[in-house]
Amino acid sequence: MTIDTDAIRHLSEAQVSVELETEDMTLNIGPQHPSTHGVLRLVARVDGERAYNVQPVIGYMHRGYEKLSEVRTYPQITAIVNRIDWVSGYANEIPFIVAAEKLMGLDVPERAQYIRLILTEMARISSHLIFMASYPLELGAATPLFFALRERERVLDLLEGVTGGRFHPNFNRIGGVKPAYGSGSATRKMIQDLPAGFLSETREAMDQVLDVTDELEALVAGNEIILARTKDVGVLPPEVAAAFGVSGPNLRASGVAFDLRKAEDYLPYHLFEFDVVTGENGDCWDRWWVRLQEIRESAKIIQQAVDGIPSGDLQAKVPKVIKVPKGETYVRAENPKGEMGYYLVSDGGQGPYRLKIRSASFSNISILPWILEGALVPDIIAIMGSLDFVLGDVDR
Amino acid sequence: MAENGFKIPGSGMLKGMWVTLTTMLKTIFLPNKYLATVNYPKVKETPVPRARGVIALDQEACTVCMLCARSCPDWCIYIEGHKEEQPPSKPGGRVRVRAELDRFDIDYALCMYCGICVEVCPFDALFWTPEYEYSEAHMGEMLHDMDRLQDWLATVPEQPALEK
Repeated sequence: MTIDTDAIRHLSEAQVSVELETEDMTLNIGPQHPSTHGVLRLVARVDGERAYNVQPVIGYMHRGYEKLSEVRTYPQITAIVNRIDWVSGYANEIPFIVAAEKLMGLDVPERAQYIRLILTEMARISSHLIFMASYPLELGAATPLFFALRERERVLDLLEGVTGGRFHPNFNRIGGVKPAYGSGSATRKMIQDLPAGFLSETREAMDQVLDVTDELEALVAGNEIILARTKDVGVLPPEVAAAFGVSGPNLRASGVAFDLRKAEDYLPYHLFEFDVVTGENGDCWDRWWVRLQEIRESAKIIQQAVDGIPSGDLQAKVPKVIKVPKGETYVRAENPKGEMGYYLVSDGGQGPYRLKIRSASFSNISILPWILEGALVPDIIAIMGSLDFVLGDVDR
Repeated sequence: MAENGFKIPGSGMLKGMWVTLTTMLKTIFLPNKYLATVNYPKVKETPVPRARGVIALDQEACTVCMLCARSCPDWCIYIEGHKEEQPPSKPGGRVRVRAELDRFDIDYALCMYCGICVEVCPFDALFWTPEYEYSEAHMGEMLHDMDRLQDWLATVPEQPALEK
């Protein structure tokens, strides 16, 4: 009797493959999921506990701001761009206004520039505090939420005291900042300079912000669970980050000292001393740590600016009906989320001919398929949260 | 960056709990200084004078020039008016034509609180007030007519003092 070895081999192989046959599952995360900061949908192929081929599906928040801008006037667009990244609404206005001013060739008064700078840094602090609140929450720690939000409220109160709006300040005007309500004979004209006591309150609030960063560091930085969840998770090498166009704190956490506040001159940052904080490994922990340090740097910038704020006009001379001369320009700024830029094409009318919005979060989440390849399912949340994106900023 | 090297296991968590405990004691014993929230609606917060809560209308000042309605990004202001002839102030004088306001509605369900209408008004007929308690059960009731907008005028705050 001869033994058909081939058949036996086939049989045993078939047995093995039957036993180990696993089926990949397609997992939809979102679009309505509490950990996704809005309506981001991820389609992941999950093999056991590991996710492969993760594809973000975006567009649920699309509001068509680029197209809408073509049929709105410049003052109206300032109100619209507030809503792009709603966590730091004030910072969104700056590059757009600066782009229009660049085409008009306006010189903005120094006091207006200082006010812009102070409020932009406040927006950065409040945006980073939201991250400080939500990121530990996504990892299961609820306490830092209350510490960070309490402090953010203090910063937003100051912002509201000046601009009248907490989330949507709409405070910048072409040529400066909002000078006054009512342009007529003005019996009850509301002049919009800084309210009395703002500078001393800001100084005090920044001291408290510095205190709360220490508290947050004590709460989170020593916590063994958070360290285990974030250290060496979602490592983003600098060359990959640069190749995907990742910017802002995410890029700096990978060790690239690139900060548009140093590289560009849209606001007088060169007058102040601050460090560009960089991380070492580019993991989730570094991204948390870089943002914590940036709160401290921003508080330092604000304290210097409050001490050195000059007196003077709030607005340059501008015509009542604003028409931007024909031309095109690109202005980019360091927003809390990263590089935000506006490519403004004007045909000489009251509104732009075309407005291309380069928002930071859109480029930042383009890294998701790369960074989530082979990640554990629980780590998806840790990695996504650490990138700190806002869906309004992604979809516009 | 957190220091590497030997750490007593659990020390980081104890440090965090110490922060939580001290903050809790602070808010219990010194609520005026450390409590960040108020017990709404029993206690009400006072918004800053510049807060953009609701828009008030001064009907007397309005000249139906439509600038606010045209500059509104949402087109949520509805204005209608008619011309009215007024008798001359002295005998033999010219008959004056004055625009009278028939309808001035702001749809707060559409409004995005940008404040452009208040800014462009050349006759100081529109004002911001920090009032915020006007939520409605039905969306249609968010449309405030000119009488309701006139009522808000009493709540317009005084101009706050300015920083030097």
